[in-house]
Amino acid sequence: MQTLFNIVVFPGILYILAWTVLLFWFFRKFMAALHKRVGPSFNGPMGTYQTLFDLSKLLTKESITPKGVNPYLFSLMPLLALSIAILPTALIPWTPDITVAKSSYGLLGLVVLIGIEPFILFLTGFGSNNKYSFLGGIRILTQMISMETSFFLAALSPAILFSTLNLNSIIQQSSWLSFAILLPGFVLYFIALLGLLEQPPFNIPDAEQEIVYGFYTEYSGTNYFLLKVSEFSEFMAVFAGAVTLFLGGYKGLFFDGFSFLFAKMLIVAMIMMAIRASTPRITMKQMLMFSWKYLVPLSLVNIAWIMIAKILFFGGM
Amino acid sequence: MLKILDFFDYAKSESLWMAHFCTGCCSLEMAAAMGPRYDWERYGYMPTPTPRQADILIITGLVTKKMLPALLRTYAQIPEPKYILALGACSFDGGPYNDSLAVIKNPTEILPADVFVAGCPPKPEAIINGMEEIKQKMKKGVPSAASQGGLWKEMKF
Amino acid sequence: MDTLKEILSSFESEYIENYKPTWLKVKIAHSADLLQVAKALKESGLKTISTVSATDFIEDNRIEMNYFFEDMLNRRNCWLKCDISRELENCKIDSITPLFKGASWHERETFSMFGVKFTGHDDLRPIIISQDYYGKNPFRKDFDWDTHEANTVENINLIADSFKREEAENEKNIDPNSSETVLNWGPTHPASGPIRLKVHCDGEDIIGIDPDIGFVWRALEHLVTKKDFVGAIVAVERLCFMDNINSMLSYAQAVEEIADVQITEFAKWMRVILGEVARISSHMMGMGGFYNAMGLHTVAMWNMDMREFFLDFLESYSGARIATASIEPGGVRYPLQKEMLVELQAALDKFDNTKEDIRAIFVKNPTMRLRASKLGFITEDEVHDYALCGVVARASGVKTDIRIDEPYAAYDKIKMDYVTQENGSSQDRLIQLFQEIEQSVDIIKQAKEHVEQKIQSKEFNPIKDHMVKVPKKLPKGEAISRVEWARGEVLMHLVTDEKAKSPYRLKMKAPSFNNTMMLNHLLKGKTLSDIPLVFGSLYICQGDLDR
Repeated sequence: MQTLFNIVVFPGILYILAWTVLLFWFFRKFMAALHKRVGPSFNGPMGTYQTLFDLSKLLTKESITPKGVNPYLFSLMPLLALSIAILPTALIPWTPDITVAKSSYGLLGLVVLIGIEPFILFLTGFGSNNKYSFLGGIRILTQMISMETSFFLAALSPAILFSTLNLNSIIQQSSWLSFAILLPGFVLYFIALLGLLEQPPFNIPDAEQEIVYGFYTEYSGTNYFLLKVSEFSEFMAVFAGAVTLFLGGYKGLFFDGFSFLFAKMLIVAMIMMAIRASTPRITMKQMLMFSWKYLVPLSLVNIAWIMIAKILFFGGM
Repeated sequence: MLKILDFFDYAKSESLWMAHFCTGCCSLEMAAAMGPRYDWERYGYMPTPTPRQADILIITGLVTKKMLPALLRTYAQIPEPKYILALGACSFDGGPYNDSLAVIKNPTEILPADVFVAGCPPKPEAIINGMEEIKQKMKKGVPSAASQGGLWKEMKF
Repeated sequence: MDTLKEILSSFESEYIENYKPTWLKVKIAHSADLLQVAKALKESGLKTISTVSATDFIEDNRIEMNYFFEDMLNRRNCWLKCDISRELENCKIDSITPLFKGASWHERETFSMFGVKFTGHDDLRPIIISQDYYGKNPFRKDFDWDTHEANTVENINLIADSFKREEAENEKNIDPNSSETVLNWGPTHPASGPIRLKVHCDGEDIIGIDPDIGFVWRALEHLVTKKDFVGAIVAVERLCFMDNINSMLSYAQAVEEIADVQITEFAKWMRVILGEVARISSHMMGMGGFYNAMGLHTVAMWNMDMREFFLDFLESYSGARIATASIEPGGVRYPLQKEMLVELQAALDKFDNTKEDIRAIFVKNPTMRLRASKLGFITEDEVHDYALCGVVARASGVKTDIRIDEPYAAYDKIKMDYVTQENGSSQDRLIQLFQEIEQSVDIIKQAKEHVEQKIQSKEFNPIKDHMVKVPKKLPKGEAISRVEWARGEVLMHLVTDEKAKSPYRLKMKAPSFNNTMMLNHLLKGKTLSDIPLVFGSLYICQGDLDR
């Protein structure tokens, strides 16, 4: 019974749908505020129903399969993308009690599942029979290779510091001191996160002005809905990962709980949106240069710093 | 069951995304309608980069002969149900370009529009009002005019 | 000027006369001399060809070619004319493209519209006109439009077919084993607007770009000949809606010159104010477009917010936000009420409050600098060669500004200086836009103060002074009129017939045409990511590109 509840309601399908609706609304509203606009406003209180309508519409609209594509590949990929994007939620300790799949190797599962997602998106672009989609697919593959190196290295730092891959015990052991030690790691994780989620300044794979919409270009209706939900559940996995690894997860000021985790995730989302509203996109070349010249070496330096800090503050344990 | 389907129909009418396509000068006022003062996102309208995810096509003013095949193709790429909003005098009868060599005088005879917005160019408020009228049409279940007829079916694009 | 006269007098000519303080008007007797004259002019320093225009005199059975040579730096220009035969076989003249690169597309345009063949032009394909007009010379006076229009559906199918044919040819010409392909960047593209760039690319690298323009070709130059002199402003202002007032200003000046009408001092000052307001609203869109091309919409939104206040002023003055039709031959169309200046002050205040934020966040944005400072370089020589003007020219350090070089309206009484940048990169063009907005605000403040003072002292009567009468029928004549438009020089060449009610021929030269010509040159060898940035930084509006 408990498992069924977990799969269907929390932190399963319903939770992800609710998260998608809410975060989509939050993004639009926050972005609008930075644009000096109002954002969705007339549908429901503060326009909260708007994204619900948007996603419901996408779900029931005609899904076009373009001429010349393999229909199975074309329609299967969004489904696969969604299921892979949902999986990490099972590993994350949402509250002290709720973790769907308790595992001592939670961190490993998390980064691998997050890391495999861009590859599926590449296949969506590859299977669309559209020049722009194909270019988007190639771009996302390039970005994945260069960004995930530092993403993995940054995610490794709490594991080294606390000598565990168990996400729950990482949270249990975290403190203000460990937060300070992990701060450089968090910054690196955050930058790599922007690259993984295709957010500005790294929104190169779906750059509207250059290659229309990248791998999304040919997707419509239900297929696009699936891709959109998978995009938002990837957001959730990555944000929750950031909060769990670096910001103390569900730990709160006076009591522990899901609300603190959620608030921290929204803060990460807000920083991401503020960057989105003030930073133009960079080019592929600059992204590669930045990643391999600065980000990866810095991640290695960060690992060294974690090791030194561990000896200094935790006595090498 | 019926209630759920009704909800989805209602959702369709409340969430109009438009294809990012400019055919003429009215797109300038459309940009103003997206801007801070008029902000049509309050009503849930949003531009999408590709016609595949759009719900309505906006004919922004004049349509030249050279533009028409691209316009028809864009319309064909939009998934059903789709509606058309025609802005300005040009899309009705050529407007100030009625005597021009290259502008089509009756683009909406070729691709019938559901709602016309008057003006040259129409004000942003008028554009938003036109979109609201499309919403009303969708809520009443009126089928889109272009699916009922029009010369576009006989044309190459 | 005297040296120019000396050079020109060595060729056989019908007349050489001074025209306006900065122009020399010459008609050479033999069209065969053209290349020699052009060469001599280029050697004497007139390195720029503004435009090439033809006028079809069907009664005299001749086509008159007009060449406008300019020296951007020294305030001396030459208007060269010559006659060629009107018969299609003999309708040819030497191409000056080998000497002046900027003439290339202008000659192609004249070829498309009038069927003038330019011998020696290496790429004489039709441009702007749609496929159904190929070879039919639509701007000639004997073009039978009604017969052509009889079957619109067939014409449109012809155009659609030509797109399909081109697609098939692309498939055929490109080796399927290579990674080369042809991308259509537009017209249904989030950043392009109604233009199509055929991008030949190898993966992400660009091999070459071939712009396909004419998607908003409205044949304005032909349209005005069907309207009367006042009605023509409707067509003229639709050159581009972003800055419509300065294009009307240019046309109005040409008509006033032919009609020999002096407008009132008050109207001149009003023209300055209106022109600068339009320039600001256009530049704000331009800055927004530049950043939109990089995927950042905040600037466009913030600028739109400010722009609305300037449009408020236009709306209170003319009743329309952008299609104001507020300048017509004889002055400005509407009287000025006091409350309108309050609206203007509100707009200026809004700008003053916001400008520091924009400067700090967006003009000095490090990520933008990272991309734009190394891209799209235009050197000073290229500015002269390709006849670039306005914002693009000044960003490359060329001190040219028609408001100063050839003052019109009341610009001679306004304190202003050239605003220039040094390097001519995309970033410089953005900074140029911002600084020009500041300059325009300064001009408006000067003009507003002056107007308020004069109204106070009863020298201006804002209710009655705004118009003088211009006769409905104009004498035979011709005039050129240049203004500094938002994007650069707009040159209008107006020809009228005896007792005519409508223009005989109006040539409009607009800057986006030359800017688009530069695209291939700037983007060859770059990557796909650079297209929107360079395209956005060149400040191209498709309205004045196609006309």
